[in-house]
Amino acid sequence: MFQPEAILEAFRLFFTLEVFYWMAIGVVAGVGVGAIPGLSAATAIALMLPFTFTMQVAPALGLLIGLYKGSVFGGSISAISFATPGTSEAAATVYDGYKLMKKGQGRKAIEMALYSSVSADTASDLVTICVAPPLAMVALKFGPAERFWLVVLAFTLIGSLSGKHLAKGLISASLGIFLATIGSDPVSAVPRMTFGVWWLSGGIPFIPFMIGLFAMAAMLKEGIKLLRETEVVEKVKASIVDGLLKSGAGLTLKEYVRCWKEMLIGFSLGSFVGFLPGLGSTVGAFLSYGVAKQVSPEKKIGEGVLEGVAAAEAGNNATVGPTLIPLLAFGIPGSIAAAMIGAALMLQGATPSPRMFKLYPEIVYALFMILLVANVFNLGVGRIFGRFYARLGLLPKQLLVPLVFMMATIGSFAYRGNPYDVLLALIFGLMGYMMGVFEIPSAPIVISFLITPMMESNLRRALIISRGEWIQALFGSPLSIGLVVAMVILTFMALKMKAAEKIAGVQGETEKSSDQDGKPTGP
Amino acid sequence: MKRPRELLKCNQGIGFIFSLVLIGFLVYLELSPWVHREVRDGFTLGFFPVLAVVLLLIFSLILIVDPRRKETAEDLEAFALKPFLGGVLIVGATWLYFVVMRTVGFLIMTPIYLLFFIYFLGLRLWLACAVSAVVMTVVVYGAFTAIGIKLPPGILEGILPF
Repeated sequence: MFQPEAILEAFRLFFTLEVFYWMAIGVVAGVGVGAIPGLSAATAIALMLPFTFTMQVAPALGLLIGLYKGSVFGGSISAISFATPGTSEAAATVYDGYKLMKKGQGRKAIEMALYSSVSADTASDLVTICVAPPLAMVALKFGPAERFWLVVLAFTLIGSLSGKHLAKGLISASLGIFLATIGSDPVSAVPRMTFGVWWLSGGIPFIPFMIGLFAMAAMLKEGIKLLRETEVVEKVKASIVDGLLKSGAGLTLKEYVRCWKEMLIGFSLGSFVGFLPGLGSTVGAFLSYGVAKQVSPEKKIGEGVLEGVAAAEAGNNATVGPTLIPLLAFGIPGSIAAAMIGAALMLQGATPSPRMFKLYPEIVYALFMILLVANVFNLGVGRIFGRFYARLGLLPKQLLVPLVFMMATIGSFAYRGNPYDVLLALIFGLMGYMMGVFEIPSAPIVISFLITPMMESNLRRALIISRGEWIQALFGSPLSIGLVVAMVILTFMALKMKAAEKIAGVQGETEKSSDQDGKPTGP
Repeated sequence: MKRPRELLKCNQGIGFIFSLVLIGFLVYLELSPWVHREVRDGFTLGFFPVLAVVLLLIFSLILIVDPRRKETAEDLEAFALKPFLGGVLIVGATWLYFVVMRTVGFLIMTPIYLLFFIYFLGLRLWLACAVSAVVMTVVVYGAFTAIGIKLPPGILEGILPF
């Protein structure tokens, strides 16, 4: 698996001005996006995805990974500044972060969020680099039946773990399967499910699908909220931000070291949660926060202490690297952001699969380098501009919504120059908005949409090999049976983790808190 | 006792509506000839689409009977038709903007679209709306041009330096 020539080639791909330039832009924009309530990493990556088409592979990855890492940290800025998490990942940061802010220690809290995010992120990236290649080697031994079960395992986990309601998560996953069947039959290339519409015969393109579901739907939600409410909170926020910008002392080394236990909890749990498809960084943050609170009751986490910020922020950022493990090792994205990074790789002609380590090792190694170096950029940008990003929370939504909507429209068109892509993005925007209203999670639909072709082709291949014998095709090898058993155990374990998160009494607040202004939602 | 409108808003009601729509769609699929057409590996063309619809139906039926059937999604509870129609109007206006923009040009149509969009969302200062619309258009045009993506020049074709 270790290929020195590929590593040299990866260095050549990575050490260019263009990569560093786009990575810096990604982090700067990502922290900004994270700091603006209503925008998320998914929105930002979806908007930027069409533009990566014109770039080389390494700068494209630099931009997207920079955006992803930056936005996960950026969410903490508005969470600490005015108890409005910029992203749902940062909701757990509100509890202690906002209380620290009120005590006049806002700067300290933001710096703790930054350092714990970067520390846990770097450690979890190293885990990714160590775990993904051996897993891909194992996956290379899989036949069609095993690959089929692997995809079913991903469906089960993603469907049952995303969102608050099991049935709704599974509806979302099934909807993804349904949408993926629109287009042509993969074996015979005969059109199916096109309803006589010629421009659907190529299937639903991924970019307009993502832009609609994440950028347009999010902006529709904000736009409709604006049409419903006229409440003005900007003045209150402005005074808070002014206070934050003036607020005194920064974080000391002693304070940082004091939180080692919470960061370790965040790193371990976040890495594990990130590796499991469907759970995501919000669960990573809440789980770490809940466990840290139970492990060290004497530290009074929840009452405005740095340890609470460290646990939550380490927990969410530690999911960033490991969420790429299933993508790189099996070709199965573990989260929305991983699905989009996978789509960017596909646009570049490097489809994620276990064979990626054999076919494009230089891209994988360059990706690893970007994962690590983006943390340095995140640290630099956060350290220098962190407090000033809080001002972005004051950006009027009346300007933000039209701007993002216009960029989403242009982005869906720019990708292929096909006007119907814009129409599809708008339709998926409405659909995404309605899914939000019904509380149907959007992660399963995206991931299942992306992996359904893999499931279908592997099932059909397995049946061709077994000459139509279903039992032989599906349960013909010990590895297949092992995967079915693993599916049951992992789903059970993950459901237990989710239950533990509910017991901590915080999950229900996740989405609620992201919508609230001016008051903390903590216990 | 819940009123019929409230009943339709809870998970049970949603599951019921979804199930009805999906049963109708399943019947439509079963009646479509292409669904039963066999391809060379023995599968019918409609096997996977029908499987997806059946899965959707099963999980929608679960919504009707599961322990959380009486719960109502927060956003659905607060759902109001008028703002939602405003959202639909945004989508329709964006499509119209896009169609006209392809002919007239990005630099001409975008400020107009943004101006009305910003005003529609509640910023009632025309001058501020106009300045913001123009600035946003120029910044986005510059950014796209810088990364090598040409936006529709429309009637300004040949006049623009980029």
